Amino acid sequence: MNDFLQYTLNGLTVGAFYALVALGYTMVYGIIRLLNFAHGDFFMVGAFLATGVLSLLTGSGLPSGLVVVVALVAATAAAAALGGVSARIVYLPLVKAPKLSLLVSALGLSLAVEYGTALSQGTGFRSVPHIGFLSAEHAIGLTDGVRLTYAQLGVIAVSLALMIGLYLYVTRTFTGTAMRVLAMDQDAARLMGVNVERTIMMTFIIGAGLAGTAGTMYALYYPQVNFLMGFLLGLRAFTAAVLGGIGNIPGAMVGGFLIGLLESYATGYVAGRWTDVVVFGVLIGVLVIRPSGILGERVAERV
Amino acid sequence: MRGISGLTGLLDSARVKIPSLAVFAVVLLAFPSIADEYWTDVGVKVLLYVVLGLGINVVVGYAGLLDLGYSAFFAVGGYTTAILVGNYGVNWWLTLPIAMLVAAIGGYLIGYPTLRLRSDYLAIVTLGFGEIVRVTANNLEFTGGPDGVILPFRPVLFGYELAGTQSMYYLVLVIALVVGLGATSLTRSKIGRSWESVREDERVAEAVGVPSIRVKALAYVVGGVIAGVAGAFFATYIGIVSPTSFTFLTSVLILLVVLIGGRGSLVGVFLGALVVQGTPEVLRSIGDEWRIFLFAVVLIVLMFVRPLGLWPARTRRGARLAQSAEEPPLPEVGVAPGEPLLEVRGLTMRFGGLLALNDVDITVGRGEVLGVIGPNGAGKTTVFNCVTGVVRPTAGKVVLGGESLIGRHPHQVVQRGMARTFQGARLFSDMSVVENVLVGMTARMNSGVLTSLLRLPAQRREEQRAGRQARYWLDFVGLSDKATRFARELSYGDQRRLDIARALASNPLVLLLDEPAAGMNPSEKADLMELIGRIRDRGVTVVLIEHDMAFVMGLCERVLVIETGAKLTEGSPYEVQQDPRVIEAYLGVDEDDEGDEDADGDLGAGPDDTTAPTLTKGQ
Repeated sequence: MNDFLQYTLNGLTVGAFYALVALGYTMVYGIIRLLNFAHGDFFMVGAFLATGVLSLLTGSGLPSGLVVVVALVAATAAAAALGGVSARIVYLPLVKAPKLSLLVSALGLSLAVEYGTALSQGTGFRSVPHIGFLSAEHAIGLTDGVRLTYAQLGVIAVSLALMIGLYLYVTRTFTGTAMRVLAMDQDAARLMGVNVERTIMMTFIIGAGLAGTAGTMYALYYPQVNFLMGFLLGLRAFTAAVLGGIGNIPGAMVGGFLIGLLESYATGYVAGRWTDVVVFGVLIGVLVIRPSGILGERVAERV
Repeated sequence: MRGISGLTGLLDSARVKIPSLAVFAVVLLAFPSIADEYWTDVGVKVLLYVVLGLGINVVVGYAGLLDLGYSAFFAVGGYTTAILVGNYGVNWWLTLPIAMLVAAIGGYLIGYPTLRLRSDYLAIVTLGFGEIVRVTANNLEFTGGPDGVILPFRPVLFGYELAGTQSMYYLVLVIALVVGLGATSLTRSKIGRSWESVREDERVAEAVGVPSIRVKALAYVVGGVIAGVAGAFFATYIGIVSPTSFTFLTSVLILLVVLIGGRGSLVGVFLGALVVQGTPEVLRSIGDEWRIFLFAVVLIVLMFVRPLGLWPARTRRGARLAQSAEEPPLPEVGVAPGEPLLEVRGLTMRFGGLLALNDVDITVGRGEVLGVIGPNGAGKTTVFNCVTGVVRPTAGKVVLGGESLIGRHPHQVVQRGMARTFQGARLFSDMSVVENVLVGMTARMNSGVLTSLLRLPAQRREEQRAGRQARYWLDFVGLSDKATRFARELSYGDQRRLDIARALASNPLVLLLDEPAAGMNPSEKADLMELIGRIRDRGVTVVLIEHDMAFVMGLCERVLVIETGAKLTEGSPYEVQQDPRVIEAYLGVDEDDEGDEDADGDLGAGPDDTTAPTLTKGQ
C-alpha cells in the first residue's frame, strides 16, 4: 500500500511534465492538424536555458527562491520566443501545403534544434546546480516511508495552476476563442475577421512557453540535462495527448497524468525495461475501444 | 511479355524517356566497378532503402496511412532470418519466404484492429507498435537481448557464395527491381485504385463499393512483406541484427524516403533513398553533429522549395481511356418490371435523443423513378444512409430483390446492386476522371492480389474489360473528352455527372441520387433530366431526392413526401402537388431558407400558396 502511494506520487509528478508538454502538442494539432515533432525540443531548450541561468545566479548571493523564479520566467520566455519564431519561419509559410510536408518540416526543425544545441552545448549530460530546498531531503512525510518532496509538490502545484490558467484563457479570452474557432474551420474563421496567422503564432508561443516551464522544472527535479531529453519526453507527451483525445485540452491533462501514473506503476510493479511496452499497449487498447481517445469527441460519420 | 509490360509501366509512371533510363541503368550496373568498397557499401544501403521506400510508399503514398513505426516490419524480417539462420542453421533462401510471411502476419495484426482509427491516431499506434517490437526484442533472450543475433552464413546462389559487397549490391539491385515491378503491377490494378480511393475519401470509397477496411489491411500486409524482404537482406548483409537498427529514427528515415522523394513515384523513391542514405555519407567528414544539423536544415528548406517532394507522382494521369466502349448487360434479378424491387419497412433511426426517422415504409417497383421530397432536415438523406448501410437503422427492414440488406457494409450493398451519389458530388479529387469511374467498378471485379501482382491473363482481361466499360459510362454521361483530367479540375456540372457515372459503373439495379440538380442552371438541369431518363430507359430503377419540384414532376411517376422523419404522403406528382398538408409542410419551413427557393416557387403553383409560412419546424 505504501509502495502504491509512493508510486502514485512519483507518477503524478512525472505526469505533470507530460501533461504540460502534451498541451502544446494538442493545441497545435487542434489548430493546424500538425504533429509538431519539434515541440519536445522546446522543452529541452527551456531546460538548457534554465540550467544556464541557474549556473549564472547560484553563488551570486541572491536567495535561492528568487533564482528559481528568475530561471522559470527566463526559460519560459525563451521557449515561447523559440516557438513563435519557428511558427513564423517554418510553419506559417506551409499552412496551405499538404499535411505531410509540414510533418517533414517538423522533423527537420526537431533535428535542427537538437543538433544545434548539441553543437553549442555538447552531447554529454550537464548537471544542474543544486538548489537546497528542492533536494530530496526536504519533504513532507505522509504515512511511514511515503514522502512528497517539496520539489514534487512544486511541480504538481505549478502545473495545475498553469493548466487552469490555460483553460480559462482558451475559454474566456478573445484570442482563446479565436483559437477554438480556428480549430473548427480555418476559412470561416478568416472570413469572420480572425487574424489567422497571429492566432497560430499565439498557439505556438503558449504551447512552447508551457513546455519551457516544464523543462525548467524537469531540470531542477532530475538535476541534469541533455540535448536529446526533449525527444524522449516529447514522445511520451505526444502519446499522452493522443490518449486523452488529441485536440482536446482537458484530454491532454488527463492523458499526461495517466501516462505518468502508468509509467510509475509499470516501473514499480513490472520492470523499467518493459515500461514502454506497457504504456503503448494500454494506449493501443484504449484506442481500439475508444478510437478518439478518452475525452476526444466522437467524429460524426457523414456521407 | 509480362516483364515488358511491367517495364513500360515503370517508364510511364516515371515520366522518363528511354535514353535517360538507359543511362540510369548503366550507372546502376557499373557503379560497383567504378566505386571502391566503401561507396559500394553505401550503394547497397541506398538500394535497401529503395526497397523499404517502395514498401512504405504503398502504405503512406497510396493508401494514405501515416506509419511512424514501419521499422517494426523491417525488424520482424531481420530477426526472423537472423534467428533461423543464426540459431537453427536454416538455409538463408528458405528464410526469405518465412520472413515475408511473418512480416505479413505482423502487418495484418497491426492493421486489423486499428484500421477504424483516423489517420493521425494511426500514426501514434504504429509508432507504439514500432517501440513495442524494438523493446521486446531488446528484453527477450530469444532475440539475443541488446546484443542481438549474429548470422554466420551468407546466402549461396547456384553454389556461389554471395559474400562480398559487390555481389550483395547486385543481389539487392535485382530485389529492388523485382519489388518495383511488383509494386507497379499492384498500384496500377484495381487494388492500387482502391488504395488511392481510400486515401482520397474513405467513406465515399466504401459507399461506392470499395471494401475499405480490407483494402487498408492489405496495404499494411503488402508494406510489411516488402519490409520483411528488406529485413532478410539487411540481416545477412550486416551479419548481425540488434534492436539499435530499428529505432523510431529508422522509421522516420524510411518515411522521409517517400516524403522527400515524392509520394507515389518510383523515381521519387530512388531520389529519396539517395538523399536519406547518401547525404550523411557525403557529409561524413564534418562530424556527426554538423552532419545531422545540416541534414535537418536541408529538410526544412526542401519543404519550402518542393513541398510535394523532389519528384512527385505524375500530374497527368497515365491511365488512358480505352479505344472502344463495351456496354455491360444489366444484372439479372428475379423481379419482373413493375414488381417491388426495393422494399423498406418500418425504417426507424434514432441518433441519441433525436428521432430522425420514424417508421418509414417505401416500396420501389422495378424500373420506376421515385422522387423523395421534403423540407431540409426532414430525414431524406438519412433514408439513403440507412438503406445503403452507411448507418445501421435502429429498427426496420430493407430488402432488395428478396435479400435483406440490414447489417451489410456499404460496399456489400453496392455488390448487391444498389449504388448512390452524394450531395455536392464527393469525388476522388486527386485521381483522374476515368480512374474515378474504374473505382466504381471495384464491386464487380474479381481479381485478387496474386493475379494482380503477376498480371495473369485473367486479371489483364478483366482490367481491359473494365477499361472498355468505363469508356461506355463516360460516353454515356458525356465526359470521355475529359477522361484523363483530374476530377478536381472539372466544372461543377461535370463533377455531378462524374459522380453519377461512378455510381453507374457498379452496374446497379437501383440508383439513389441525392439532390443531383442542386446548384445547376436551367440548361444543366435539362441535360440532367435527359440523362436520368436514359438511365431509366436502360432498366435501372431510380430513387432521387430533389428540391426542384419541376425537376421531380418531370421525371417521377410517383413522389414520396417525408417530413420530420415520417412519411407524410405519397402518390402521383399531381396528387402530391394538390395535397394541402404537403403545401403547408413544404412552404411553412422554407420561407426564409434561400437554398430552397426553387422548391418554393415550383411547388407553389398558385399565388396564394406562398403566403402560408406558418410552420417553423426544428431543423
